[in-house]
Amino acid sequence: MAVCVAVIGKDNSPLYIGGVGNDTNTDNELSRQWLVHTALDALEERLATNNTNTANSASNSSRTDLRDLYLGLLYSTDTHKIYGYVTNTRIKLVLVTSSTSPSGSNIRDAEVRTALRRLHALYADAICNPFHLPGDQITSLKFDKQVKNLLLNNV
Amino acid sequence: MATQPSDNTEFPPEIILKPLALIGLSGLDIVNNAVHKTIWDAFSNNRRPDRASVRFKILNNTFEFPVVKPKRNSYEWYIPKGILKKNWIQKRVNLIPAVVVIFYDMEWNDPQWNEKIIECASRVQSIRAAVEGHTTRVAVVVVQSGLSPPPSEYMLGAERAQALCAACEIQSKSLFVLPHSDHLMGYIIRLENAFYDIAQNYYHHETKNIKQHRDHLNKTTHQYLFVRHQFKLGYLNELKQDLSTAHKHYMHSYNNLLETRTVDTNMHEIRTVAGYINYKLCKLLFALNLPRDAIAQLKSHIERYKNRVGPTELLFEHYAWIARQYSAFGELFDETIRAGLPAIQSQHPGFYYQQAAQFTVMRRQAMRSVCCDALQYPPPPDPLEGIVEFYGQRPWRPGRLSADPHDPQKEQAAVLALQYNERMFNHSAMIISFLGNAISQFKTFHSPRMRKQLVVEMANEYYYCADYGKALTLLTHMLWDYRREKWWFLASHVLNRALQCAYLSAKIQDYIQLSVEALSKHIQVPNNDKDRIFKNIMSVLNLNIPSPEPDLPASSQSKALELWQMAVEREPFAITIDMANISSFLEVKTKFRQQRYRTDEIVEVELYVRLNYVTSLEVRKLSVTISSNTESIEIPISDNGNSVISLVGGKVRKFLCQFKTNPQDSGSDLHIKNVSFILDSDRKRKIVMNFKVEESKVLESAVHPELLHFILSPKSDYEFDCIVPSTVASITARECRLSLDITNACPALQGEWFPTSFTIRNNENTEVNNVAITLSLLSSPDNPNPDSVTELSWKPEQSQGQPLKVSAATVNKSASYSNIFYLKSNRTTSITVQIKVTYLIDLPEIPKLECVKDFTTKITVTKPFEVTTHFVAMNFKPITKCFVDDPFIVMPQIKILSPWDLLIVDTELEVANCFNYGDNSKPSSCISNLEVAEKNVASDAICVKAKYKPKDLPTRVGLYNITWRRSNNIEGLCVRSTTALSGIPVDDCPIAIEVNYPEVVELQTSIPLKCTLFGKSDTPVRLSLAVEGTDAYMFSGYKKLTVTVPPHDKVELIYNIHPLVAGNTTPPRLKATVLGESAKQEVVTEMFEKIFPQNIFVMPKYNK
Repeated sequence: MAVCVAVIGKDNSPLYIGGVGNDTNTDNELSRQWLVHTALDALEERLATNNTNTANSASNSSRTDLRDLYLGLLYSTDTHKIYGYVTNTRIKLVLVTSSTSPSGSNIRDAEVRTALRRLHALYADAICNPFHLPGDQITSLKFDKQVKNLLLNNV
Repeated sequence: MATQPSDNTEFPPEIILKPLALIGLSGLDIVNNAVHKTIWDAFSNNRRPDRASVRFKILNNTFEFPVVKPKRNSYEWYIPKGILKKNWIQKRVNLIPAVVVIFYDMEWNDPQWNEKIIECASRVQSIRAAVEGHTTRVAVVVVQSGLSPPPSEYMLGAERAQALCAACEIQSKSLFVLPHSDHLMGYIIRLENAFYDIAQNYYHHETKNIKQHRDHLNKTTHQYLFVRHQFKLGYLNELKQDLSTAHKHYMHSYNNLLETRTVDTNMHEIRTVAGYINYKLCKLLFALNLPRDAIAQLKSHIERYKNRVGPTELLFEHYAWIARQYSAFGELFDETIRAGLPAIQSQHPGFYYQQAAQFTVMRRQAMRSVCCDALQYPPPPDPLEGIVEFYGQRPWRPGRLSADPHDPQKEQAAVLALQYNERMFNHSAMIISFLGNAISQFKTFHSPRMRKQLVVEMANEYYYCADYGKALTLLTHMLWDYRREKWWFLASHVLNRALQCAYLSAKIQDYIQLSVEALSKHIQVPNNDKDRIFKNIMSVLNLNIPSPEPDLPASSQSKALELWQMAVEREPFAITIDMANISSFLEVKTKFRQQRYRTDEIVEVELYVRLNYVTSLEVRKLSVTISSNTESIEIPISDNGNSVISLVGGKVRKFLCQFKTNPQDSGSDLHIKNVSFILDSDRKRKIVMNFKVEESKVLESAVHPELLHFILSPKSDYEFDCIVPSTVASITARECRLSLDITNACPALQGEWFPTSFTIRNNENTEVNNVAITLSLLSSPDNPNPDSVTELSWKPEQSQGQPLKVSAATVNKSASYSNIFYLKSNRTTSITVQIKVTYLIDLPEIPKLECVKDFTTKITVTKPFEVTTHFVAMNFKPITKCFVDDPFIVMPQIKILSPWDLLIVDTELEVANCFNYGDNSKPSSCISNLEVAEKNVASDAICVKAKYKPKDLPTRVGLYNITWRRSNNIEGLCVRSTTALSGIPVDDCPIAIEVNYPEVVELQTSIPLKCTLFGKSDTPVRLSLAVEGTDAYMFSGYKKLTVTVPPHDKVELIYNIHPLVAGNTTPPRLKATVLGESAKQEVVTEMFEKIFPQNIFVMPKYNK
């Protein structure tokens, strides 16, 4: 069970952070934001190494095309596991599962991959709104609802 | 780690130190004997890692070895009082040497040999007596001068060494000789390794001893001994430097400890010892280069002991213990990394320091919940005084194993004492120290954001321990980063805490800046109480004390009030805030109305201000700073003449700022540098809010300007969100009122000097002075390098350097200035000529203003004519090749393309080398002085012949020069155009033929046909000739014959032909076959074919 997902822009500003649980609790929200924010360290490091790898492999264009958007498990803490996904436009998607709850600790990699792909699709739908300004926070209620659904059911 | 406060969880030094085999050196008098001093220095100094793992210790005469405990024969009735004795390791590393080495000065040929040997033996004996009971090895080193003894005494040395061994009762391999004169270091290293071997042997023996005990033990009463013995084995193996065996024994020890029953009374001891063993295990695993195993060991260790909490009233001890496990591991990890272990972003010591900090926080929480009653230290006797023999045992009940507290009162007092100590403990300092370590690690391992989070936690810790200044400094730095990445929620969290710190430390500058930022729409404040924050700003402005922030620690509030009372009346009175870097309640956009202004125009800057926070704000002074490259001006902005500007929350105000430019700035840029708002209250204090505009900032604006149009913004707000700021405008020279007329007969013809006259008319209101005209060629896409093909001049036929310049001095009002320039182009293209006029004008406001005006005119150049070439034979039949010495006619045809009528003055052909004129002299032109119009074609004809056959195909027959001019240009100069005429292949033939025949004959009249064959080559040519007769003629002469044409001579053949029919007839023709040399056959056949007439016109004969 994912406890939180986040969409982060290419300039590393948060576009959307959604989580299950008591949203009004500030401490909960704060720890969630810390978690996602610090996950960016691992994400950026992963991207940097990916880039050098692809640069090393003699600008093999087909290889860069096939680059997997899903980055897998970024890192895990005692309480959470954090997965990352980066779109071709450098939008970063982060999914956090709880390693203490049984459904979260036994989650399979493929499930996370599917969930993040789904989130990517939802994100793409949301920004197709012509009145949405790229780089702004996503305020779409529909997106929010769908993401909450994704958090609860899918994974 | 100097700042780390002392608490009882720290590992004793003997656990942390790397065990080294102890070797005692006796008999060295390092104070009085220089030789002994150098020997000792060689042993003890400069111990690099590559030297043997031993530690040397000088044993002087007073040194006492620990007393050996009597050997126990049976463990049956023995109940151990604890797990690990505190002094055991101490004894191993400091007191019981593995080897005692006795140094003795003695030469083999010493005259007093007998006395010496007795003295040495007695020294050995006394050492033996001192170590009585220990199995410490004894070795003897004979210190000698090293001067080689005479050969006769070699045997003596061996004998005496043996004698010495016997006297000292040592084995011969325990006797060493140390010559001290030279190569001392080499000998020392060898000795050291020898001692090390002996030491290893000794420790091996010791381990065997301990292993023997095991058989006597039983699990029920001696569980502690299982742990202890295995620990000892591990330690001895470590001294022996057998790390993997040591690890094995420590692991046994650790597992045995796990099997021990734990109750509240022995909990502390067990986990203390477990911590030590775990530390040893991890250290060995790192040393064995198994870092993953070390991490796994720590994880399982924590997992196993996490729930063994111990008594609730001492819960904090449990957390303190866990924190220590983590921090000690972090230090180990860090040391290993410094020794060369690579670490990665997801696994480095920082995480362990962070855990240590977190558990210290939990320790503090536990302290708060259990230690509230421990208000004072219990009355004497101090329960914590007392000597404990074992690690981790309580001083008030040493060596007791039973689970029940034997003295409840004493127990209670002890708990109280511990709780009181814990209350007094400075947890924040410890947490800050752990966080500090973690921060530096996270920085090293590329985790800037993790680092930031820890810095914020550190700041919180400073806040809790009331060091508000430090907390504020840390927080303001972090705020910057969160703001930049737009993590507003985190920024809000940081900002609110920073605001509390700023209030508590009464730092007005920070307080105002943070308050202004707190009013931003992005920032959430507690209770959504932005009104209070705004009021606070206003009270600071009015020299009042602001109301406190919510949730402040009560203890600091009164102090803060005192600080504020002092601060409100003091500096800084002017508080400057750099608003461009923070998010605030004011938004400003500036815009030049135009991208460029002329120097005589008024520059207009539009200023839009939006106040986001719902309030009304009186701005005492609003000004815009604009800089050019010469100066920087500050322009005050007024609101309908009123310098006080009031802003209303949620509304956008638009201001217009107008000013004149400095004429010196012509050609440069104007930049909006700053917009400054000044809040003032007439009471000394003012707040200056500067919106600095930086070029780089404008570029990296978060939203692309083209997207701004999509934002829905109310019309009444001047569509504020859609405004694209424009902070740069360029200044250009004033508009120039001169006009230019161009007259010329365009298009120009290629090669001619083409005149263009221009007239500049002054339409200004006054006269203009110092008029200078500069003509230059501009490159254009179809003519990228005009200078290379085009010439400009004031006079025809005289090329002048570009650009052309002329000065017209003064041109009066409404007067004009004219001139003609000439242009010659060798290419058909279009030429752009720039005419740049600069002048000075005296305007009423600006005297001597320099003005510049550029005019351009485009001139196309076309070809006057086109020359094509035809080649014909002497009978005007077209030919495609010619033969050497065979004349033919070159016919150049000139097709006129010029729209203007031309006069062809003369033409001539300059023949190429391999050609010659057909006549002896140069022929005159057929088309001289010919007037032609467009689309006319003039044909010339020149007879030439080839002199010889050139090696390559001739590219051209020659150069055809045409001298021409425009026909309306009577006195004008002629232009000579040269065209290359195309070439014709030249062939040579071994023979030349001349046929004489009339063009016209009369029917039935015999006429001679004389054919002459000339030999052209250096060899005779044999030909077989045959006459091809026709029905139209009869002929006489040889029908078929063979002739030999001699070289450079001729053969004549004469036939008579007699036409039989009238009209166009083909006469009989000779055909030739070359005999012998068939290569020339083709050319000879061709020659005959060409020369012999195809037709002869036969006239009917009229009877007269």
